Amino acid sequence: MRKKECVAMLLAGGQGSRLGVLTEKIAKPAVSFGGKYRMIDFSLSNCVNSGIDTVGVLVQYKPTLLNRYLGTGAAWDLDAVWGGVHILPPYATQTGGEWYEGTADAIYHNIDFIDEYDPDYVLILSGDHLYQMDYNLMLDFHKLMGSDLTVAVKTVPWEEASRFGIMSVDEEMRITRFSEKPKNPDSNLASMGIYIFTWSVLRQALLADHEDKQSEHDYGKNIIPTLLGQKKNLFAYVFSGYWKDVGTIPSYYTTQMELLDAEPEFKLHDTRMHILSNLNELSAHFIGGEGHVEHSMVCNGCEIYGRVENSILSPGAVVEAGAMVKDSILLPDSVVGAGAVVERTILNERASIAPNACVGGSDKITVVGESSTMEV
Amino acid sequence: MNRTIGLISANYAIPGFDILTRERPPVSIPYAGRYRLLDFALSNMVNSRIQTVALITPHYYRSIMDHIGAGKEWDLDRKNGGLYILPGTAFGFRDPDSRFLFRDILHNLNYFRRGDGDYILVSSGTLTANIDYQPMIAEHELSGRNVTLLYRKTAPGEKRRGYYLTMSASGEVKNITLANEGENLFLNSFIVDRSLILRLARDFSTMGYLDFMAILTTVLPDLRVGTFRYDGHVFFMDGTEDYFRSSMALLDPALRHELFTRERQIRTKIHDTPPALYVPGSQVRNSLMTAGSVIEGTVTDSVVFRQVRIEKGASVKNCVLMEGCTVKAGARLENVICDKYVTITADKTILGTPDRPCVIPKDEVI
Repeated sequence: MRKKECVAMLLAGGQGSRLGVLTEKIAKPAVSFGGKYRMIDFSLSNCVNSGIDTVGVLVQYKPTLLNRYLGTGAAWDLDAVWGGVHILPPYATQTGGEWYEGTADAIYHNIDFIDEYDPDYVLILSGDHLYQMDYNLMLDFHKLMGSDLTVAVKTVPWEEASRFGIMSVDEEMRITRFSEKPKNPDSNLASMGIYIFTWSVLRQALLADHEDKQSEHDYGKNIIPTLLGQKKNLFAYVFSGYWKDVGTIPSYYTTQMELLDAEPEFKLHDTRMHILSNLNELSAHFIGGEGHVEHSMVCNGCEIYGRVENSILSPGAVVEAGAMVKDSILLPDSVVGAGAVVERTILNERASIAPNACVGGSDKITVVGESSTMEV
Repeated sequence: MNRTIGLISANYAIPGFDILTRERPPVSIPYAGRYRLLDFALSNMVNSRIQTVALITPHYYRSIMDHIGAGKEWDLDRKNGGLYILPGTAFGFRDPDSRFLFRDILHNLNYFRRGDGDYILVSSGTLTANIDYQPMIAEHELSGRNVTLLYRKTAPGEKRRGYYLTMSASGEVKNITLANEGENLFLNSFIVDRSLILRLARDFSTMGYLDFMAILTTVLPDLRVGTFRYDGHVFFMDGTEDYFRSSMALLDPALRHELFTRERQIRTKIHDTPPALYVPGSQVRNSLMTAGSVIEGTVTDSVVFRQVRIEKGASVKNCVLMEGCTVKAGARLENVICDKYVTITADKTILGTPDRPCVIPKDEVI
């Protein structure tokens, strides 16, 4: 079985500058999320759970941790003999080397990679969305409609529509117009940044786009409008499940805090959810005799000797005696010193708060950078 | 080039476990929230840079194979070396003191003949401690001894059945005796020259029913047998009472950190469980808790494994709850060990004593 019906290409090269210090040293898809996960886990798990076993991960910005995290792909059962996870960085050729100049350009430079698997369809994904989706249903829709490009869309409240890329459709869901952040939207179907292309159509479009010197080599700005202009078959696939873009500090914070709701929309603890990750090596966590944990999620390797309320503790986080952690997210191996108070704060990986220091608690969310120390 | 290969013995019974070993060999007993006892011996070998490890299985090895598979989690799925499964014989259960039935070695002699290591590091599969074998291996190599036995000094008044060693002033082992107490307790782990194993296999080929330690005792005067002292904590596993005590010892931060040091991490089979969830009103004190659990009730002085559910108003004190247990609303448990997937129905009370914990068998609904 050399041929793959569908190959996934996961765009993981962006800087994610809106996440500030969280992406100072690592790419956005590598940012810790929901305790024991990194953002890329959700898309990768969706691929595996949808039976897609060939995933190209396009990297560019600070890829070291992401590369190590992905490893052979074994953590997601993606260490296949033929297929599996492939990390695809920019590369040099006989005529020199080039960076990926846009989302479409990144795929253009990997046409040879995709051709190796001779797929009928290519699924384009981002590594920074929280959702669970069976891509097969979308692929069935794509085939049924005889589509050249299917864009997954989500119904958003009308008042928020101007913040998204909006797809206008006719009654059979054929896309008639695409507008990026329209002032006066005529539709409330927002693009989720998940595309299924018929590979022959995308391949041709990428080759043409590469020759176009005016192009920004972006799916939303260039490829989709061009295909629309060519009267290709573009359809919108409405996804009704939970989906969140977690590209900003407020959405990153709020989306995680919502996991603690009594009836969370994203049901991490539903046994049918099978989200795989590669942060599984630490021993069980400990809550001390004077410790207290309430309304929180705690991962393995944590040691809690103080109070933790309404918070998320990632693997290896430590809360020392007499400390108080409230409404906060502690990323892997961060430490809250004895007697310190941490409120409405995101502690980045390996960050530490000195004993008796007070951090956060304002209306805005406080973020403490990686490996940094907050003194009193 | 690593000159030492590993051998872990799992083909023995420990009668003191009773219910906990009804459906599994002792090495498969779940421990510390997300491990099985075998993980410690396996991890210690791998963390001591041993890249070839053979495991002698008991004949009922389903749970072992389910757990270790091809050895991926221990980096033992190697082209060169890696994990070898040596089927144990079905005669290993008569002598409760036996850990290294000689017949298991005789039946798997090819592993010892073909192996390219000069030394074999042997451990029982239930030795639960975090041991760096590298200094012991180095000492064995330099000393030119045939065998180096790992032992521990017992505390005054300590009673524990096992092999006790008597050493000469120069540290050579003069005597090995099976007893209920003594000074230098053999820890069921040793390094032996591969050539000696092959020689003994030839000389004692008809005495497979003996334990290796009995054979070693017989040939002791002709060999150079030394010792290596282990001063760390051993989480003894000679029966249910030991298991309960060793589980509670995990609540001591110093002992726990010794066993789970990040320098030499204990590896285990990966289950992708979500983080543990503590709902508003949960009360957890002095307890070791594991990912995948949902805690609504009260937990004190306990060890709680993966996927355990403790409902509102339920109270758990001084207990070990293995994977998948459910304690329904209003139930009260004290000094209880629940094997995997036990359900305690609403408002039930079960009380053991610290010395005699009550053990609920796997899958039971009480």
